[in-house]
Amino acid sequence: MSFERLDDEQLDALKEVSSIGMGHAATALSQMIGQTVMLEVPQVTITEIRDVPDHLGGAEQLMVGITLQILGDARGSIMLLFPKESAQRLVSSLLGKEEKELVMNEMTVSALKEVGNILASAYLSALGNLLNRTLIPSVPMLAYDMAGAVVDYVLIDLSEEGDLALMVETDFIGDPKQGPTVKGHFFLMPDPSTLDIFLNSVGVAS
Amino acid sequence: MSERIGIAQFAIGHKPQVLKAYGLGSCLAVALYDPEAELGGLGHMLLPKHARYGGVGAVGKFVDAGICQMVDALEQAGAQRHQLVAKIAGGANMFESAHQTLIDSIGARNARSARETLDSLGVTLASEDVGGNRGRTVAFDLASGMLMIYCARDNSEISI
Repeated sequence: MSFERLDDEQLDALKEVSSIGMGHAATALSQMIGQTVMLEVPQVTITEIRDVPDHLGGAEQLMVGITLQILGDARGSIMLLFPKESAQRLVSSLLGKEEKELVMNEMTVSALKEVGNILASAYLSALGNLLNRTLIPSVPMLAYDMAGAVVDYVLIDLSEEGDLALMVETDFIGDPKQGPTVKGHFFLMPDPSTLDIFLNSVGVAS
Repeated sequence: MSERIGIAQFAIGHKPQVLKAYGLGSCLAVALYDPEAELGGLGHMLLPKHARYGGVGAVGKFVDAGICQMVDALEQAGAQRHQLVAKIAGGANMFESAHQTLIDSIGARNARSARETLDSLGVTLASEDVGGNRGRTVAFDLASGMLMIYCARDNSEISI
């Protein structure tokens, strides 16, 4: 299945599937940080690989990126991106002490990877239940750098099979009434060969 | 006058143009310059070898095929191959895996593919800033042939 041939119904199905997965992930996150977490409506974007960094808010924006591979019955990547300030707030609330600067040490890296792990596991297990497939997250990997540099690693896998990326993006944000918020982007980037598995399982195969 | 080069793209031009590629991780920026003609090009490449991946999609995303394409374009624009000098930057390993793997990271393979391709074309590799685990933004000044490399994380800048 190539990305450019997806019709509206199939795109809607992907949004819906992602919505459900993200709902579970948001619950997990809100329990971790003790704040309500709100979700934006997911967006499905099919874009040239070279335009992906722009979708993430610009190639030079400093971000914490946590990536996991999807293993099991389907293949793809999950990328979780936190702008620098949000990552700092996340670390503060997880470690229970106010950090003025985002310092990347063993403790913060491990805490942030754990966030990635919990969100991805919640997302994939909801997705797997829905699709009746086994989806397992790999060990998370983390990088803190320019958005472009953080995501090109994921783009390499995709570019081996074509020039387009399909991103199912969900933005989430903590409740602004409960103090400084955490904002993040959650991306599901299925491999082209995996897309059929998703679409077949929700009954909108082409 | 500056032009932005996205992933899998390249551009050629002459002074006083500046060619830029933003946020390179394991991607590789290849800069080629003919100092006599004051003519040069910058490419932003993603994968090491064209043949290895069955050549799916844009040629410019492959280091080896992209370099050949750039050299051709520069020669057509009036550059002399024996005068060309190359500089490369990028090829980092952004996500350090907990487990040491036997195969090199994709960044290291991109850099190696560039060295091999330049060598086979008889183009001198003048300098390089590759590897490590930091992202880079590069700006190639076609007036001087200098490649400026900026790292946002530690806010540092070098020129090669």
